[in-house]
Order: sequence, then C-alpha cells, then structure tokens
Amino acid sequence: MNEAAAPQLELHGVTKRFGGVAAVDSVTFQIAKGEIVGIIGPNGAGKTTLLNCISGVHRLDGGDIKWEGVSIAGMPSYRIAKLGIGRTFQIVRPFGSMTVRENAAVGALFGNASGRRAPRAAFELADQVLELVGLKAKASLPVSALTIPDRKRLEVARAVAARPHLLLLDEVMAGLNNVEIDEALDMVRAVHATGVTVLLIEHVMRVIIGVCRRAIVLESGHVLAQGEPEVVLRDERVIQAYLGERFAKRLKS
Amino acid sequence: MIARAASIDRWRRLFVIVGAILVAYALLAPITSLDAAQSANVPLLADRLWFRIATIIAMFVVMATAWNIIGGITGYAAFGNVAFFGIGAYTTGMLVAKAKWPFLVALPLAPVVAAAFAALVGLPLLRLRGHYFAVASLGVGVAVGELVQNIDYNGQPVFGGASGLFLPIFAIDNRGLFFFYLMVAVAAVAIAVTWRVLRSRFGYGLIAIRENEEAAAVLGVNTTAYKVAAFALAAALTGLAGGIFSQWNVFINQDNAFPIEYNVQMILMALLGGTGTVFGPAAGAVLLQLLIQFLGGSLPISVDIPFVSVDARPIVAQVILGVLLVVVVIFVPRGVIDFFGGSSRLSWSYLRQSLRETSL
Amino acid sequence: MADFVQLVILGLLAGGIYVAVGVGFGLVWGVLNIVNLSHGALVIIGGYITWQLFSALHIDPFLTLPVDAVALFVFGYLLQRGLINRIIRAPLLFTFLLTFGVNLVIVNILLLIFGSDFRSVTPSYSGQGIELGPIVIPYVSLFSLAVAIALSAALAFILNRTRIGLAINAIAADRDAAQLVGIDLRHAYAVTFGLGAACAGVAGGLIAMIQAITPTAGEPYTLQAFVVVILGGLGRVSATVVGGLAFGLVEAFGQSIPGSGSVFANAIAFGLMVLVLVTRPQGLLGRLR
Repeated sequence: MNEAAAPQLELHGVTKRFGGVAAVDSVTFQIAKGEIVGIIGPNGAGKTTLLNCISGVHRLDGGDIKWEGVSIAGMPSYRIAKLGIGRTFQIVRPFGSMTVRENAAVGALFGNASGRRAPRAAFELADQVLELVGLKAKASLPVSALTIPDRKRLEVARAVAARPHLLLLDEVMAGLNNVEIDEALDMVRAVHATGVTVLLIEHVMRVIIGVCRRAIVLESGHVLAQGEPEVVLRDERVIQAYLGERFAKRLKS
Repeated sequence: MIARAASIDRWRRLFVIVGAILVAYALLAPITSLDAAQSANVPLLADRLWFRIATIIAMFVVMATAWNIIGGITGYAAFGNVAFFGIGAYTTGMLVAKAKWPFLVALPLAPVVAAAFAALVGLPLLRLRGHYFAVASLGVGVAVGELVQNIDYNGQPVFGGASGLFLPIFAIDNRGLFFFYLMVAVAAVAIAVTWRVLRSRFGYGLIAIRENEEAAAVLGVNTTAYKVAAFALAAALTGLAGGIFSQWNVFINQDNAFPIEYNVQMILMALLGGTGTVFGPAAGAVLLQLLIQFLGGSLPISVDIPFVSVDARPIVAQVILGVLLVVVVIFVPRGVIDFFGGSSRLSWSYLRQSLRETSL
Repeated sequence: MADFVQLVILGLLAGGIYVAVGVGFGLVWGVLNIVNLSHGALVIIGGYITWQLFSALHIDPFLTLPVDAVALFVFGYLLQRGLINRIIRAPLLFTFLLTFGVNLVIVNILLLIFGSDFRSVTPSYSGQGIELGPIVIPYVSLFSLAVAIALSAALAFILNRTRIGLAINAIAADRDAAQLVGIDLRHAYAVTFGLGAACAGVAGGLIAMIQAITPTAGEPYTLQAFVVVILGGLGRVSATVVGGLAFGLVEAFGQSIPGSGSVFANAIAFGLMVLVLVTRPQGLLGRLR
C-alpha cells in the first residue's frame, strides 16, 4: 500500500485557535493514497476541529495543509470538495426537504470536479451509492422517515456520491449498536475498496482496530502518538492520557 | 392508502383541468375585443378594464415567481425585491423618455441593469443570514427608491424627481392587448425558468443551500456564486416586469415604481401558493391579486361590505388583507396549493397540525 | 464650532426618541427572536392615546406616558399570547409576515377611527426651551431624552433584578433549558412582548409631542428601530441606548450636509446599517452571539 509515492494529504504544523485556546496545536502528519487512518482522542481533543480545518470549514491560524503537493490552506470548502476531499458531519445534516435519492444525487451533481454529472447520470450514480450503503430500498422516502443509523448511512452515501479521493468520516458509528456498527464497518470497507482513501474519527475502539491500518491519537490538540492501532493503544502515554483505566482493562480482556 | 392516493390523483387531475380552462379563458378572452372579432359579432368577453387587471395579475405572477427563486428555492427571505422592479422601470423609463430609445430596444436593458445591481448588493448582503438579510434587503429597497427620487445634478432631478417620469406613448394598435400579452409572456418565461432551475444542477445546489448551507459547501456547491446568481436571476425577471410596467403605465414615480407593499405582497403570494414550487407562486399571485382588486372594488363583480361606506372601503380592504395574512401564516403555512396538487387535504386536523407544529 | 455643538445637542435630543423606540424592539428581537414589523404601529397607538388624553381631558402629555405603557403592555401581552406564540417555532419569514399583517390591521383600524388628519400634542410649554447662547434646547426634547434614558434604566432594572426579568434572560440564553427549570414560556414570552410594546407606547407618547402624527407615521420607526439595534448590538439595553444616540447624531450630521437635506434620511440610515452589518455584525458594543 505504502509505496514510495508522495503523500496524498500532508498536514504541517496545523493550528486553530478559538479565543486564545488552541483547539488544534501544530498537528503534523501525512496520509498516503489508499490508506485507512483512524483519529482517536478524548472529547475536546480537537478531532472535529481538525476535520473542519482540512475541509475548509475553519480557516487555519497557522501551519499548512497540502493536497497532492498543493497547499489548500485558506481555500473555501467548495473548492476543497471539488479537488476530491469529501466529508460527513458528526451531527448529520441531511437536506430535509429532499428524498433520500435526491440527497445522494446532490453529492453526485457536485463534489469532485472531475466527473461531475448531469442530473440524469447523477441520479444513476446516487442509486449505485445507495445500494453500496444499503439504502436502496428507502431511496424514495423523505429524510424524515429515516432512522438514526439510516441517516448516518445517508450522510456517508452523499459524501461518497461526490466521488472523493479522500473521505473524512466524523464519528459515523457513534450511537450505533453492535450489529449496526458491523454493518457500518462493512460499508466503510466497501467504500475503501473502491479506491478511496479514508480518514475516520472514531470513539469506538473496535472500529479503529477493525478497519484502520494506522491510528493517530490526538490529545488537547496535539498528536500524542501514531502507528498501528494495536501498538498505539498499548502505548503507556495513550492509556494514561486518553483511555483511562476503564478502557485499558476492557481492551486487555 | 391506495384509495387515498387515487383520490389525491383525482383531485390533482381536476385541479389541472380547471386551472387549464381558466388560464385558456384568461388568455383568449381579450382577443374578443379586437375590432375584427367585434365586427364578426363575437361576444365581448373582456373589456379594457378586465385586461388592465389581468395585466396587473400577470405582473404579480412574474414578481412572485421571481421572488420564489431567491426566497422559496434558495431560502433567503428577500424583503426588498421591489427595488429590482423599480430599477427595471426606471431603466426602461429613462432610456425611452430621455435617451429616446425605442421601447423594445430599451426593454432588454431593464433585466440587465436590475441583475447587475442585484449582483453588486448581493455580494455583501448575501453573507448575512436570517433577519439580518431580510431587513438589509428591505433597507436596500427603501433606499434605492429614495435615491432615485431625490438625486439631483446641477439642481435638476436626474430621474424626474418627485414629479416622476413621463414616457411617450408606445404607438401600436390594441396597446392594452399588446402589453397584456407581453406581460403574460414574461410570466410564462418566469415559470419556465423556475421549472428549468428545479431540474438542474443549479436548482439542486440552491435547495441544498436552503436546507443546510455548510453541508452544501463541503459537497462542492459554490454557495456565494449560487446565491448571487439566484438573487440576480430573480432581479432580472422582476426588472423585466418593471420595464414593461413603465411603458405600459406611461408614468412612473417613486410611489408606483417602488411601492414597499409589493415586497410583502409578492412574498404572501408565493407563500399562499406554496414556496419552492413551480406553479405555486403564480397561483398565489392570481388568487391574492383578484382578492385585492375585489376588496378594492375594481372588479366588475362587486359585493357591498356591510356597515362600510364607499370611502372607507379601501381601508377595510387593507384590514381584511392583514387578517388574511395572519390567518394564512398561522394556519396554512405550506400554501393552499398543497390541498390540490400536493399531499394534504383541507381539514380541521390539517389546520390543527399546522398550528401545533409552530406554536409554543 | 457653535454649529458643531448645536448639531451634537440636536442629535442627542433626537437620539432620545430613537432610544425609546429601539429598546422595546431590541428586547423582543433579542429574547423572542422576532423582528416585530408592527413595532411602529404599537408606537403610534401610544401616540394616539397621549393625543386623546391630552386633547379630550387636557392631561399633561408627560403624565399620560404611564397610561401608554400600561395599555400597550396589556395589548402586547395579548398579542403575543393570542397570535405570535402560535408561530414562534415557524421559519423566520412567517414571523415577518405575521407581524406585518398585524401592522396592516392596526394602522388601518386607526385610520378608520381617527382618519388620516395630522394630530399634534402642544402643551403650554411646547416651543419654549433653555437658551444657551445661540442654541435653544426645547423643554419637550430635553424631557423626552430624560424619559427615554429613564425608560431604558427601568427596563434594565426589570431584566436584571426581578424574577420575571431573570426568566426572560434565561430564555434568551437557552429556551429549552429555561423550560426545563420550570419557566412558563408562554407567559414569559408574552410578558417580554408586553414590555417591548410598553416601551413602544411610551416612545409613541414622546413622538406625539415632537411631531404631528397620523396612523401611518409609525412605519418609519420600525425600520429605524432596526437600524438602532443593529448599530448598538443585539442583546443589551445599554447597547441600544448607545445605538439610539449614535443614530440621532448620524441623522443630525447627515441632514446638515448641504444639498442632501433630509430627503436621504432613510438612505443614510440604511447605508450605515448595511455597513455595520457587513463589517461589524455584533454592533458597536455587542457581543457576537
């Protein structure tokens, strides 16, 4: 996987402050094309802020982000999306007046600038993506008729329909039960199998260990450790700073 | 469930048929006033008064449909669209009255100038959301009217000042009929544009902005450009109506080119018919304008309002309009079109539910 | 120099009216999230009450102000309870249209009752004033400014020191949390709107002494109240006071520009407002919410 090629996404000293408090403080890491990387960390560690920085929702206060060698710092969200970086929101943001199919079609109509589709082709792609995430049977329902897990699926479907090269997933498994997590894991693997690089934020350890080859631990805006999930999660500092004894025990058992 | 769907289908078919007949009548009746028709003893179905009212109705169809593009589809509560109507009116008015351009050459500039103005003010204004955008746009509407009336150059009013602007009468046979069909054509264009927008990438982008602007942006919608484009498109259509109005009415001033109450009327029309839909605003415009004309006593069919003298009638009409506004907003928030073509039936439970959804 | 001082004084005096008009509007907007397009109509109801009491019963107009406040409080309370509470969770467009509809009804009913004649309130001391060298400060304007400041102080006191005021503040901060701690939202909302209407009523009484009124004379004040609140910043009474005085000054200096006269008052006001909105959306003193 990790050929000698240049990294697809590079973060260098990325910093974001809110009123003097650095929510993300000189974060540096790289992601190669085709990886699945997990970002973990306690609440308030700056995970979502970091995602917002990458997707252009926040402006950086310092550092640089490069996408395929070109700086994207300071670009508006829509241009970053056009370059092929897609994302989901932790609190889902469906387009409420549209059907499930139309929601996915908006992703297909916009998103990655190469291969934008006319409406008819966009709806075809939307149908394919809905099949991939398991929402095909509910395609013509209004969003309000969906359950919470289905809304999370739709959030992913819409992002995938935008044909990203890199997909940023913000806690798509939070609040799901074990069976639903397994289904969601299959969904992420299926998306990854289509050649998409995945960067996912998760609270659920099982997810990180289950799909990620590499994990990055954030704490108070800093990168605490990174490496193979099993190794990282056994790291003494990580256990102390983040997981706490409760999680540590659960992991070992 | 199926029976219900079938009954809704029947309702919709009935509604479309009745609507088509009414539209056909409204479009064809004025022809009977032509000399040729009269000499052939065709019964007179519409006189001058009727197609003056019909032209006004078509004008409001344009304005409500255009407002729907920015207010209904994009979800930005524009309260100053009358500025575009006035700018269109004054663009054509100035070119015809002062530069002596032929009307049909001056008319295409009305939408161009209105759209350019909308793009110019839209860039800062559309960064505002909610109340701020609504009132800032209202402010623009008021301020433009005031500027147009009061700008002087070398002591001479540039745009005709308080005494207004007189245009030479457009020399054409059957003038009233000409302007009626011209306005109807623009109304048809406005509806067609809406129809096209709702099926395009542009339209889906606008709806995405309405539903969640940030989510739209991270999906790749250039939100600023889309909002400004929607605003300019609405302005162009409204300005075109204004351009026609100036030549049709021959006289324009601040009062008839920038009437503040049009701002609210076009929104109420769109709301009454159903915002975000293709035909809703047009239907709402017809309904509300007929009601306004009826209450004002301009329709040939007229009913005396009990206990109200003729002098007080326009005032009482305004009171009734205000009450109607309150009732529609509270009880029929999704528009009356919903009852015919849409998924709801007019019933007590519908009214109760509307109330429950929004009340404290 | 004397001109400059005169303009400042005139501006501040005129600003008193804008303070009175703005505080109630800002309260309703800040707490209920409603831009009340009927505010000007409420103002003018107050004006007619003062006029009626003055012309029929010869009561000193300043003594009628409490009557304005009480009458408008009751009216505002009922309006909120009966109508506006019904659409409080609807999209913003609906609150706009509802309050515009209310405005239309009030103004036209006033037209039916009072006609469109100009009415003015002229107590014996109107036209008199304190002479400071070349500058004359009319008593009425001076008292009006004092009343406006006192009104703002009273409102601030109610909001910060009384039980219902704290409830209103709690609602402004977080409606759902306020409900959870047992605040009766419907009542508190209605009281808030009532207070806003009472301020409007007092403002109307003051306006009736300064200009001749007609039923439609209140409409410009709705827009000006909006500008005042934007200028000062939403959410605090003190910010609205500053916004109102600032607006009075801007207007006074704007009108003194040769050639422009008073005809561009709205254009100047709105130009200023748009400038503030785009460059400093939290207002001169406000905090971003």
